[in-house]
Amino acid sequence: MTHDRQSALSAGFRLLWRRQKLLWWVYVVNLLCGALGTVPAWLRLRAVLAHSLAGERLTNRFDLGMWFELTRLPEVSIMRYSTASLLLALVFLVFMLFVTGGVLETYREDRRLTTSEFFAASGAFFWPFVRLLLLSIIPFVIVGLTYHALIGFADSVGDRAAADQVGIFLRWGAMLVLLLLALALRLWLDIAQVRAVAQKERRMWRNLWQAWRMTWHEVGRLYGMYFLIALVAWITLAVGVAICAKLPPTATPAVLLVLELIMFAQVATRLWQLAGAMAWYQRHVEMVPADAVEFTTPHPQEIGEASSMNEPPPPSDPGPELPPADA
Amino acid sequence: MRLWLVLRLAAVLLLWSAEAAAQSPFAPKVSGPLSQRVVAYQIDANYDPSKHTVDATETLTYHNLTGQPLDTFPFHLYLNAFQPKSTWMHEAHRDVTFRSSSLAEWKPEDYGSNEVTSFQVLGLGDLTKQMKFISPDDGNPDDKTVLQVKLPRPVPPGQDVTFQIRFKATFPEVVARTGYKRTFLLAGQWFPKVGVWWNGKWNCHQFHALTEFFADFGTYDVRITLPKNYVIGATGVQVADRDNGNGTKTVAFHAEDVHDFAWTADPNFRIVEDQFEGGVGPVRIRLLSYDSHRREWQPYMFAAKEGMRRFDEWYGPYPYAQLTIVDPPHGAGEAGGMEYPTFITGDSGWFIPKGIHSVDGVVVHEFGHQYWYGMVATNEFENAWLDEGINSYSEIKVLDSMYGENTSAVNLLGAQLGDREYLRVSYVRSPDIDSLSRPSYTDMSLGSYGDTTYGKSAMMLLSLETIIGEPTLKNALHTYFLRYRFTHPTQEDFMGTVNGVSGRDLSGYWNQAVYGAQAFDYEVLRADSQPVKWWDQNLQEKKGETEYETQVILHRKGDFVFPVDALVKFDNGDNVREKWDGKERWVRYVYRKKAQVESVQIDPDYRIPLDLDYLNNSHATEPQHGAIHKVATVWMFFTQFMAQILSWLA
Repeated sequence: MTHDRQSALSAGFRLLWRRQKLLWWVYVVNLLCGALGTVPAWLRLRAVLAHSLAGERLTNRFDLGMWFELTRLPEVSIMRYSTASLLLALVFLVFMLFVTGGVLETYREDRRLTTSEFFAASGAFFWPFVRLLLLSIIPFVIVGLTYHALIGFADSVGDRAAADQVGIFLRWGAMLVLLLLALALRLWLDIAQVRAVAQKERRMWRNLWQAWRMTWHEVGRLYGMYFLIALVAWITLAVGVAICAKLPPTATPAVLLVLELIMFAQVATRLWQLAGAMAWYQRHVEMVPADAVEFTTPHPQEIGEASSMNEPPPPSDPGPELPPADA
Repeated sequence: MRLWLVLRLAAVLLLWSAEAAAQSPFAPKVSGPLSQRVVAYQIDANYDPSKHTVDATETLTYHNLTGQPLDTFPFHLYLNAFQPKSTWMHEAHRDVTFRSSSLAEWKPEDYGSNEVTSFQVLGLGDLTKQMKFISPDDGNPDDKTVLQVKLPRPVPPGQDVTFQIRFKATFPEVVARTGYKRTFLLAGQWFPKVGVWWNGKWNCHQFHALTEFFADFGTYDVRITLPKNYVIGATGVQVADRDNGNGTKTVAFHAEDVHDFAWTADPNFRIVEDQFEGGVGPVRIRLLSYDSHRREWQPYMFAAKEGMRRFDEWYGPYPYAQLTIVDPPHGAGEAGGMEYPTFITGDSGWFIPKGIHSVDGVVVHEFGHQYWYGMVATNEFENAWLDEGINSYSEIKVLDSMYGENTSAVNLLGAQLGDREYLRVSYVRSPDIDSLSRPSYTDMSLGSYGDTTYGKSAMMLLSLETIIGEPTLKNALHTYFLRYRFTHPTQEDFMGTVNGVSGRDLSGYWNQAVYGAQAFDYEVLRADSQPVKWWDQNLQEKKGETEYETQVILHRKGDFVFPVDALVKFDNGDNVREKWDGKERWVRYVYRKKAQVESVQIDPDYRIPLDLDYLNNSHATEPQHGAIHKVATVWMFFTQFMAQILSWLA
């Protein structure tokens, strides 16, 4: 079991490394979104701070008092400029939704796709993945409600418990449960995306169900892999923030570098999870080919209907012309 | 009836005096009385933890030192504030939250009460039927926080009157510095307390959401019966602990020269003890905390001792034998950060990073109240700034000396916050809403009350340092403490002391900063240099050779007039420091130099925190990119991170 997990983990990492152009590309788009989202704030900060020496208290040390004074000004309202950041974050969400098909196809093929191939795969799975995203609202809401209920339970028990830390421990437990459940949910959805690309599956309800069966079958291995990669992301974040805190307050270029390294690691670990999921799936299909067979064989009823019409049924959606999974 | 009362009182007094003799409430080199003892309370209380109620008998002896006969006595019944139609609840609901509690909706656990079941006066009989509720502040007929009793005959000047009151206190779930949480209880403002005869009349305000308390000095002998497994702490010193043999125990406390009595109990308390060697001998520090807060025990003790040391050195001795610190449990934040005589509550948590000095800040602040409230017992209803403001200023000074001016509140992950900046944040929210002199309970809202009383007052005193100097202000506070400890001074007493010690008439400042609510804002309106021979078409500007005329204009935007310094820097390294009295609306400075102006900054050392807007206090001719790039870098990271988190859903 450990061997399998490690092999999917390392196969995923090797895949990520071999196809690192994708990683750089996604990172650059993330960087661009960040930069564009910052422009309105930067312009207003420039208007307020460009000719004021008050900014020295932010440069020579990060004085939270001066930061509060700055942000209480209506023209530097955090809420106002968070909107631009949020919009660009949404743009990145849509971008990732769009390119995930192309990214997974690249990992599946493990070769450099042409631009048209990449965008064809991306385009082909955009709407299915939008549907998947909409469907995923249901389990995410369930997880959210579970968390809400756990917090309510924690508060209720904490209020009655003799020891004052019981409530805190239960709250922390609820947060941990939320985190682990969300990771499990992401794993399931990723397997659904991987399977959709590998099988050219466009029916997302059915795909989700099959992905659930596959994931559940090897949930320990898959979850272990996802958890380890997530751990790398969290550790990178913590170490990066700690390094930033140790840097001299005036070392803005160095802070920028470390923060961007953190972001690069966040993007990389996310793609590593996708690559690992694809590596696992391909191995799984080799070992348990039923998944591949089941959905390439039409339903008997559909064959019957098609036979009665004496012609093959027209494909509902031809999808992209892509090489077979084992090419 | 009367004989029974006299005999019972005599027995009780005998018992009390024996218990009181067991341990002195003062530090070794101190002996009382330290105050004009107007009241003597003896309370015998039974606590029922299952109902969160106390059934008690209170014997109050009032010494009529007013110089005139008194036939009417008002009493505070603070716990009656926690009822839906009370003035307190109306005000708290109006402002939606009270400290950390949401009071937008009425919850049954918010209910609290003080029910007086019997009111007798020694020599005058049972006056229970004479009791009536009054509402001197707002006429609210449903407010029952002030009870008044008219005696059949007045108490002559210099004579005593003894009241014997039976009452039942029902505590709410912890709110506004009192109440229970699970097994924890903080019993504050729990017994009928007589008003203060002050400035020729009774001063006995209703309980308001915005303000705190005011009472006379005296002695307290309190016996509390509660389950045996409970750990208890209270104002004063513990003088007896008796096992009743029925699963309960009775613990007796004695305090002198204090004006209130609070206590706390919880079976889960852990007691941590330490000692402070003060100017008048050792003081025992008794911390009541929890195993889960073990990590905070050391910061509690450190902050307490460091705070006590500085107050002792700067202002005067802490004369009591003990300081009790209560560390409320999780979820009882409303009990945290409160002061009672010789008894304070802190505010810690399960995990507080080392760089956040919140435990220290609260302990130093609440200990500071032993001086500015406990001993210098100003009227918190009417002039809350005299205790909260002066104490916030003292807190800043203590924390700055402990952790440095820029890092006294926060020093974590590269971010810093000085305590003065922390309090300034609240000041700039409401700089010109309420004056300090306005009766505090009538302030606009809970928010403006807090911002004015804590933030604005502290900024006012910090800014005063630039006029009279920090050492003089420290000396003035020392004098004020020594002069008015164990009395009820007014704001005029405070200002008069500062005037006297500094040898200056500061009425211009007091009129604006205390009696007024003018906005304080100065700005650099203009700073630029032009060649003197600007008309010369052949002029070629050369650094160090071309002569320039520099214009600097400073502008007083607000109505607060205050002398300010401005530092003018030139590109040849010359610096000029200008002093402007601020009386006119603006001032122009003109310089002719072979140098151009580089920057102008009003209050370059940030010594006038009353100035509302630090950002317009300076002008640099060359763009200053450092802060912009730094903030933009972090902002960009957050945008990227948010984008990555969102895309995780895809």
